[in-house]
Amino acid sequence: MNLMANILLNVLIAFLIGSLLFGLQRKVMARIQTRPGPPIIQHLLHTLKFFIKESSFPYTAAMPFYIAIASMLCAIWVSAVIVGPVIEGSLLLFFGIYALQKIVEHNAGSSSGSPYGKLSCVRAVFSAAAEVPLFAVLVIIYLQTQTMVISDIINYQAVNGPLIFTIPLAALMFFVLILSKSPYSPFAITKGKDIVSGYETEHFGVLRGYLMISESIAWYMLLWVFLTVFIGPLGILGYLVGMVAISVLIAFINSITPLLNPNHSIMVQITFAFIGIVGSLVLMLVM
Amino acid sequence: MDEITYLIYIISFVLGSVLGLLLSYKKYNQPFVTKKIDPVALIISIAGWFLVLNSALLFFLPSFVSISLGLFLVALVLGMRPGYGRYETVFGILISAVVWLALTII
Repeated sequence: MNLMANILLNVLIAFLIGSLLFGLQRKVMARIQTRPGPPIIQHLLHTLKFFIKESSFPYTAAMPFYIAIASMLCAIWVSAVIVGPVIEGSLLLFFGIYALQKIVEHNAGSSSGSPYGKLSCVRAVFSAAAEVPLFAVLVIIYLQTQTMVISDIINYQAVNGPLIFTIPLAALMFFVLILSKSPYSPFAITKGKDIVSGYETEHFGVLRGYLMISESIAWYMLLWVFLTVFIGPLGILGYLVGMVAISVLIAFINSITPLLNPNHSIMVQITFAFIGIVGSLVLMLVM
Repeated sequence: MDEITYLIYIISFVLGSVLGLLLSYKKYNQPFVTKKIDPVALIISIAGWFLVLNSALLFFLPSFVSISLGLFLVALVLGMRPGYGRYETVFGILISAVVWLALTII
C-alpha cells in the first residue's frame, strides 16, 4: 500500500478507536458510580462538535504560539502513529514524541494567559518529572531484548514469549504511565477539575477539536505500544480486545480513586518508577 | 487490506451509533424508567449480533459485508439514549453466542 494512504488509514483508525475507547471508559465509570452515563459515541461527537463551533481567541493569548501549539500536538501524535503501526520503528523515537508532548502540554497551558492554564502548565512540568522516569521502562526493554526497534521486539517475543512474563515490573511501569494519561485518572493533575480543564480551558472551537483528536490518537498509541511491546505479535482482533480490556480496567481504577494532589501524584508515580526499575534489574540479575 | 476492512467496521459501528442515538431520542420521550423491552430493538439486536458472530454461516455473503452490516445493527441498539437497548443487547449477545457455541461444538 502507498505510504501516505497507509499513514492516513492508521491515523483514522487511531482517532476513531481512541475516541470510542474514551467513550467506553466514561460509560463504564458511570455504571460503576450507578449513573446511566453518556453513550459510547459521546466522546467522538464531542470532538467533532468543536469543528462546527465558533473559534474565539483570548485577549491574553500569546499569538501565534497559542494557535501553533494545538496543531503541534496533533502533529506529534500523528508522528507517533507513523513510528508505531506504520513503520514499526524505534521505541526511542516514541520516547522523544512523549517527551515533546509533555513540553507541548506545558506550553498549551502557558500560551493562553489563563490562570487555570498556567497552573496546568506548572503541573505539566511536575508530572513530566515523574512520567519521564516511568518511560525509563525502555531501558529495561533494551536490556532484555538488546533492541529498541519495535519490529525486532515483536520478533523477540515470537521466539521467547511475551515480555510481560519476563519483565512484569516494567509492564507495570508502563501501565501506570497509561493510567496517568487517562481522563479522570488519579494522576491527571494537568487536567484536574480543580483547575477547570487545565491547559485546555482557554482553547475553543477548532483548536479544542485538534487537542481532542490528539488525545484520542495518544490513547490509542499508548495502548498499542503496551500491547505490542509486552504481549507480542497480535492480530487486529487481539489489539481490539486488549485495548478494550485495558480501558475497562482503567475505568474501574479511575471511578473508585480520587484525583491525587500534585505532590502525592508525583510521589506515587516516582515510587512506581523506582520499584519498576530497581525490581526489574534485580529480577534480570537473579533469573 | 486488513486495515481497510477494520476501518469499514469502525465506520459502520460509528454510523450505527449516531443513527441509533438520533432515532431513540425521537422514539422514546422519557428517560429509561419503565425498563420494558422494545421488540423492534430486540429483533435488530439479535439480527446484528447473529451477523457479527455467525458470519461464516451466511455463505452467500462475503464475511466483511455481513460483519459490517451486523456491527451497524448492533450499534443501532447499543447506541440508543442512556438506558435503552441494554437488555436487548444482552439478549442479542446471548442468543447469537448460543448459536455460535452450538454450531462450533456440533
